[in-house]
Amino acid sequence: MSIMRNSRIKSPWIVHFDCNSCNGCDIETLACLTPMYDVERFGIINVGNPKHADILLVTGSANYRNARVLRNIYNQMPEPKAVVAIGVCACTGGIFRECYNVLGGIDQVIPVDVYVPGCSPKPEAIIDGVVLALEVLGKKEHPVATETEHEEVEHTQYA
Amino acid sequence: MQANIILAALILLPALSALLCLVFRSKVIRTPLVILTTLLMAAASGYLIYAVVGANGNLKLDLPESIFAIIGWVIKAVDLTVLAYIIFRGVRARRFTSPILAVMQLVVLLALQAFGNVIEPAQPLTIDFLSLTLILLASIIGPLILVFAIGYMEEHEAHLHLVKSRQPRFFAILFLFLCVMNALAMADNLLWMYTFWEVTTLCSFLLIGHDETDEANRNAFRTLDLNMIGGVAFILAISIIWHNQHTIAMTDIVRMPLAGHFGGFFAVAIALLCLAGFTKSAQFPFQSWLLGAMVAPTPVSALLHSSTMVKAGVYLLVRLSPVITESTLGTIVAFAGGFTFMAASAIAISQSNGKRVLAYSTIANLGLIVCCAGIGTQVALGSAILLIIFHAISKGMLFLCIGTIEQGIGSRDIEDMQGLLKRMPYTTFIAVIGMISMLLPPFGVLMTKWLAIESSVHYPLVLLLIILGSAFSVVFWGKWIGIILTMSYKAKYLYEKLRPTMSVTLMIFLVGVVTASCAIAPLFNFLVSPQLKAGYDGLLLSAGDGGLWLSNGSSLPVGGIYAVPLFLILFAVVAAIPAFISRTRPERVKPPYFGGELANNDIRGIDFIGPGDKVEQVIVHNYYMTNIFGEKRLSIWASLIALATILVMFGVTLFGVTL
Amino acid sequence: MQPFLQQLCIILAVVLVAPLIGGLLNGVDRILTARLQGRYGPPLLQPFYDVIKLIGKERITVNSTQMLYVITSLFFAVLSLVMFALRQDLLMIVFVLAFSHIALIIGAMSVRSPYSKIGAQREIIQMMAYEPVIVLMVVGIYLITGSFMIDSVYAHPSQLALRLPLVFLAFLYVLTIKLRKSPFDLSTSHHGHQELIKGLTTEFSGLQLAVIELTHWYELVLLLGMITLFFAQPVVVYGIPIWIGGLVALGAFVFEIIIDNICARTSLAWMLKMTWLAGLGAAVTNIIWLYLATGR
Repeated sequence: MSIMRNSRIKSPWIVHFDCNSCNGCDIETLACLTPMYDVERFGIINVGNPKHADILLVTGSANYRNARVLRNIYNQMPEPKAVVAIGVCACTGGIFRECYNVLGGIDQVIPVDVYVPGCSPKPEAIIDGVVLALEVLGKKEHPVATETEHEEVEHTQYA
Repeated sequence: MQANIILAALILLPALSALLCLVFRSKVIRTPLVILTTLLMAAASGYLIYAVVGANGNLKLDLPESIFAIIGWVIKAVDLTVLAYIIFRGVRARRFTSPILAVMQLVVLLALQAFGNVIEPAQPLTIDFLSLTLILLASIIGPLILVFAIGYMEEHEAHLHLVKSRQPRFFAILFLFLCVMNALAMADNLLWMYTFWEVTTLCSFLLIGHDETDEANRNAFRTLDLNMIGGVAFILAISIIWHNQHTIAMTDIVRMPLAGHFGGFFAVAIALLCLAGFTKSAQFPFQSWLLGAMVAPTPVSALLHSSTMVKAGVYLLVRLSPVITESTLGTIVAFAGGFTFMAASAIAISQSNGKRVLAYSTIANLGLIVCCAGIGTQVALGSAILLIIFHAISKGMLFLCIGTIEQGIGSRDIEDMQGLLKRMPYTTFIAVIGMISMLLPPFGVLMTKWLAIESSVHYPLVLLLIILGSAFSVVFWGKWIGIILTMSYKAKYLYEKLRPTMSVTLMIFLVGVVTASCAIAPLFNFLVSPQLKAGYDGLLLSAGDGGLWLSNGSSLPVGGIYAVPLFLILFAVVAAIPAFISRTRPERVKPPYFGGELANNDIRGIDFIGPGDKVEQVIVHNYYMTNIFGEKRLSIWASLIALATILVMFGVTLFGVTL
Repeated sequence: MQPFLQQLCIILAVVLVAPLIGGLLNGVDRILTARLQGRYGPPLLQPFYDVIKLIGKERITVNSTQMLYVITSLFFAVLSLVMFALRQDLLMIVFVLAFSHIALIIGAMSVRSPYSKIGAQREIIQMMAYEPVIVLMVVGIYLITGSFMIDSVYAHPSQLALRLPLVFLAFLYVLTIKLRKSPFDLSTSHHGHQELIKGLTTEFSGLQLAVIELTHWYELVLLLGMITLFFAQPVVVYGIPIWIGGLVALGAFVFEIIIDNICARTSLAWMLKMTWLAGLGAAVTNIIWLYLATGR
């Protein structure tokens, strides 16, 4: 285990984005930061800024509008990065899957590394998911060789 | 022989060039004339340095007495002409303040000449190191600015769609000003200095009103009014000094310190001279003329209103420093200067017009020089003279840059200068170095601020003012540098097209700024230290090892800094700039974070998708905090306090207390 | 050892060891904060993991010149710490540190991001707030020791803090601003907190952010070093000299952490007013007292 890989696993910084969640998963996610569950033990800090973050926690399903935003945030994160879909809405679209504006889970928009199902998942489950994401992060290559992993940008015309 | 060369090159040559500009009105003759004059004056300055060093800092121009007598009569005639012209212009424009002040001056002058039996000093033109400093500024920086003006005025007149070029008049007055400025620096006879002082006022008036708009005329008259107050003070002071001490030679006056003596007429005269210095250097409450003068074309602002003319006022105060040091008058002058420094820096925070910011910064730095002159110790005087040099170069360069920028983007507002680095990289780079040189170590201006703080330790109120002013100045320079360097990613930089006179002049200035600050140790040892013969209050300033050092008589230094190693680091950083810029590849660039809704992944960071899928523009301005630092509010308070200070100054000197 | 060689050793020691001390102190900060909040907290070496991870991130940037400003900021922070270790002029050290700050501010303003720019504006106002107090601190030291060089502080027979108590308290007040702790963490907040997203440092990522972290560590060591100046003389207890300067510095650091956890953030205007009223007022009072006591 090299120092770099070790550090990446021991210092995952998260950014949390709510797509169209009912905020139930958000509350549970943010509860992880409280003294009750205390994810800072793992070195996790909620930076609000994709440029500083390693792990993107997404709640809520993707729709036409927040697909642009989600892709934007994902693109601004530097490699190596991992995405965790929290809650069944983020995984597959959940209870809102059949709505006219919903595209489905967020894997319709960006590549997802870990799925944490539940409506809403308990903080313990979320922590388990993040720990799995850490393993994925540790396995990712040094970012020098990742020119090809950039997401295709959709150029939509606006009025 | 020496005298002839010096007089010819530094005084008669610009006067001749002025005449030639008026006679031969074509550009083909004017351009080489300006460049030739520049080179000749620079050469003469070099020779002057050699001559002054050879004469051990006391170079007297040895002309036959008859020549001096003739010059004396010429000067009297010039006096009358200038005052008469001012009365004429004032009456014609129906603005009666200046004519009234001119009449007052005329009355006092004529009374003095007719009834005073004034004996003029035998050696009216002497050059010591302080004069040398001012002459170098006027003879090297001055003509360079004129060279810049060749290119600048072309563009200026093209903008204004002028059919008939007014450049002959412009250059003629500028050359006349250079001639008079050199003469002022050489003058030991106070009456001659007074004449040259008034001619500079006249030049300033004519140049501010050059564009002949209503605003220009109004501001030109305001300049005239406020400077004439100084003129009245000056001639009154000369009269009092003549009657009191029977001499009007500056070298004699400087040998009569006020400290420990009672106040009285002589002290009042010195206070009047200080007042004259205050008006010329736009200290509060006389600052409004310098701000109004910003309507003039940029070379005027660079030459008159930052590098040379306003330096005449502080030059007078630095000359008088041995007289007022350690006396109550000196403390009051130090307070007035420090207060101006703080107030002007505070107001500059709320200004968004670039030229006004530079004007307030000039007023502030002049206030700092006045403050140091008032304190008058060896360290303070050294700091004052160094600041004169460094400020003149840096501020002159900054004014030229902002003139260039204004022609490039059509605006002088700081907010419009965002993204300038991409459109005008050459000018931006030079402007940024200029601003950094006003603000940060190891550049000269900061070194003088450091010296000023170290020398004002025994005057706690003045110390507080300097510290506050210094903190304020960081704010407005920092904001400006930040805005001017704002840029989003762009693969290629525009090749900026500037007229050759403008770009070459800017480069020469840049080299000058950096060299002067790097070479602060030899500069100090060579130009400043010989002037500082006054005794010290325990602190002694010296230069060596590439830096400046303070000591208190023991072998260990009390304070100091190696300037050269800091510069080496700075050069390394600047040299690394192209390396950093070229390392950025387009695929590495990300847009700024706007909460995720950038339009089309806009890497410029300007377009944002607002509600309703509408594209909004993101505009971020600087903080100007006008509710705290607003110009109107602060100006009124500052002017009142400054006015009170001046009244106290006269009160202390009039009513015979121990100074 | 020749003086030049000795100086070189000091410089190397400072440059290599100071970030380690800074990082450990940051680690202590986070553990202490966590315990005060009833949490467990990260491991002690967490800041080092953070910086190493940041170095390994992909090198993205928003414009071409960001890295330049950040490295300039680091250089000058290191330089001011080196000057401090070599016992140079204290006032110049303050100005060189100001250069480091300005470089970071300009770097933040060079990006077209509202968070970054507003953070930079607030940082400039913060500089305006604390710089007078720090310069007055230096002047106070001068009034007692008669010299601006740090040598003279160590040569002075008594503790500076005995004659500069208010100045010391004012310095602690502005230490809160410089360490970016509540109630004055207005331009950017340190880990675990957000202000304006990340304010000043929003658009810096990866290696750039690692360099900013390192700069903060060097600065932390420098600031704590300045606190030790107030207690420069060792106190002899039972024949053993105790360098209480270091202890007081650590105590001040812990005090700042506690204040951080108690207070909410203030507004910019409030910070400016209170720093000048309380901080500047205290320092000026102390200076005037000294000035009157020592005479002209």
